[in-house]
Amino acid sequence: MFLVVIALLPLILVSCTGTAQPKGGWSGPTVHDGVIYVGTTDGRVVAINSSTQSEQWTHTITSIIYTTPIVAGNLVYVGTYSGQVYALTIDRGTERWVYPRTGSMGAIVGSPVIADETIYISSSDGRVYALDTTYGDLKWKSDPLGERLKLWTSPAVVGDTLYVSTFDGHIYALSAETGELLDWFFESEAGFASSPVIDADTIYVGSFDHHLYAIGIGSNISSMWKFPQENPAGNWFWASPIVNEGIVYAGCLDGKLYAISAETGEELWQFESTDAQGKATPIVSSPVLMDNLLIIANESGNVYVINPETGEGEQIKNPENDNKPTINAQIRTPLCAHEGLVYIRGEDNQLYGVDIEKGELSWNISLTREE
Amino acid sequence: MSPGDIWYLIIGNPVLNVLIALSHLLGGNFGLAIIVLTVIVRLITWPLNKRQLKSTKALQDMQPKLQELQKKYGKNQQKLQQEMMKLYKEAGVNPLGCLWPMLVQFPIWIALYQAIMRALATTPENLLDLAQRLYSWNIVSQAIPLNSQFLWLDLGSRGDFFLAIIVGGTMWVQQKMTQAPAIDPRQASTNNMMLLMMPLMFGFLTLMFPSGLALYWAVSNIIGIITQYFVTGGWGYLKFRSPFPSSSAKGK
Repeated sequence: MFLVVIALLPLILVSCTGTAQPKGGWSGPTVHDGVIYVGTTDGRVVAINSSTQSEQWTHTITSIIYTTPIVAGNLVYVGTYSGQVYALTIDRGTERWVYPRTGSMGAIVGSPVIADETIYISSSDGRVYALDTTYGDLKWKSDPLGERLKLWTSPAVVGDTLYVSTFDGHIYALSAETGELLDWFFESEAGFASSPVIDADTIYVGSFDHHLYAIGIGSNISSMWKFPQENPAGNWFWASPIVNEGIVYAGCLDGKLYAISAETGEELWQFESTDAQGKATPIVSSPVLMDNLLIIANESGNVYVINPETGEGEQIKNPENDNKPTINAQIRTPLCAHEGLVYIRGEDNQLYGVDIEKGELSWNISLTREE
Repeated sequence: MSPGDIWYLIIGNPVLNVLIALSHLLGGNFGLAIIVLTVIVRLITWPLNKRQLKSTKALQDMQPKLQELQKKYGKNQQKLQQEMMKLYKEAGVNPLGCLWPMLVQFPIWIALYQAIMRALATTPENLLDLAQRLYSWNIVSQAIPLNSQFLWLDLGSRGDFFLAIIVGGTMWVQQKMTQAPAIDPRQASTNNMMLLMMPLMFGFLTLMFPSGLALYWAVSNIIGIITQYFVTGGWGYLKFRSPFPSSSAKGK
C-alpha cells in the first residue's frame, strides 16, 4: 500500500502545484489601422478586423507568447517564450524575418519596444538585444545585467538611452546605439517587479518591497520619492503605472488603483477593485486612459471605468448576470484602448471588446482555432 | 474557506515564507535554506522518530525470542503470527512504526515542492502566484528573486543522476539499518522488495522533480542515518559481509 502511495507521489505533487511549464502566456492586443493583433494561448498571432471581428490572418508560432505585438511600418513584431523574435507582414501575416533563425536567445517575457528603426528586447538570458526592424539583423547585445539574472521586464527608451529594471533591484542605463552600460544606475534593496515608465525625466517603477519608486534621470540618481511614504502597500506594484498630467496611476496586486502626485509622491485617491464576492483582487494589467476616463481590469475579470480626477468608479456589468465579473475569465494581459473600445484578451483565449461610452461588453470572439 | 485555502494557510504558505526568509538570512543561498529547513523538520518530527528508533532497537533485542517462536510454531503460520503479535504488544513495539515518520513527512514534501516551484519563480505564472502567498515581512520581499544555484545543482530543475544515486543510496542505508530480518519468508520477501524498491523509486523521483526537493530527501536521509547510529548504538542491521572467505575455510 505504501509503495502505491509513493508511486502516486508525482501525481500528487503535480496536481497540488502544477508543473514548471508556463501556461498560455499574457499577450495583449494592439490596434493599428482598424486591425487588432494579438497572441493567442495556443501559440499563434492573429489579426482581426476591429469592425467586423473577422479573422484576417493567423500565423502559427507554436510557442507560448507573453509579449504584446507591436506594429511599426508594415510589420508586426512579437517575441516568444521559446526565445525568438518574429516580424510578420501586417497585411498577410507572412514571416519577414525571425531572430535568431536557429536556437534561442532566451525566453522573452517583456514586450519589445521600438525606437529609431531598432527593436529592443529583454531576454531571460539576462541580456538586452537590439535588432534592425527591417531585416532582423543583430545590431548589438548587451553584457548580462547580473549573474544568472532573468530580464522579464520591457526596456524604456528615452533619446539615446535605454533603461532596464531588474529583479535584483537595479535600474541600468544602456547606450541605445551600442548597448554599452552607462555610468548611471540606481540600486534598491528589493528587486523591481514592473517595467520602468519614463515621464518628464523621471522613472516610475514598481518594486517587490510593496512600493512604487520615482527616480530622477541624469545627474540626480537618488530616489525622488517612494509610495506609499509610510506603510507599504498590500502587495507588489506588478503592472507598469501610467502618467498623465502630473498624476501617476498605479495598479497594485493588493487590488487597489492608486493616484499619486508625480511631483510629491502623495496619494490623491485610491480605488479598490474586487471580485464578484467583494474580495479585493490583484490588478495585473496596466490601466489605460481614454476620453479622459481611466479603465482598469483586475484578475477576477472585472473591468472598471474611473474618473481620473475624483477616483470614483463603476464596474462594467456582465451582460448575462449582474453578479458575475465583467468577463467570465481572468485578466492578466495588457489592455488596449482605441476609439471608444477597450480590447482585452482573457485567460479563456477570447478577445473582448468593451464599449466604454455605453459601459457594456460590446462583443467577444474566441481565439481558439477550430479543429 | 476551501480545503486548498486551509492547506496554504496552515502548511503551504508558512513553509514557503520560512524558506525564503531563511534564504535571505543565509546570504541568499537557497540550497542552504533547504538544508536548514530539513533540520528544522527533523527536529519537529523528532518525538515521532525517537519512538520509531526505540522500536527498532527493541526489535533488534527481540530477535532471539522471535527465532525461538519460529522454531516452535514454524509449521503453524497462524499461531506464529499470533505469538509474534503478542510479543510485539508486550514489548510495546509496532513493526510498521518506521513508516509513520515517512507518512508524516508527506505534507511537508508537497509543501516543499510547492515552495521550491513558487519561490524560484521558474515561470511568470509562478512569480505572479508567489505575490499572493508572501507575508509582508521585509526579509521576504528583499529576498525575491532567489538564486537557484547550489553547488552543481539548479534547484529549480530536475535532479541529475549523481543526486539520484545520493538519494537512493542514503535511503537504502537508512532502511537497511532499521529493517529487522523477517522470520516469515513472505514477510522477508516483502521487506527485501521494499529495501530495493524505495531507494529505486526515490532515485527515479529525483530525476523527475526539482533538485531542491531531492536535496531535502538526501539531507533528511543523512540526518536519519546519523541519529539512528547514535540512538540505536551502531549500524543496526547494516552488516558488511567480507567478500573474502573466512580464515577457517582457508585450509580446505
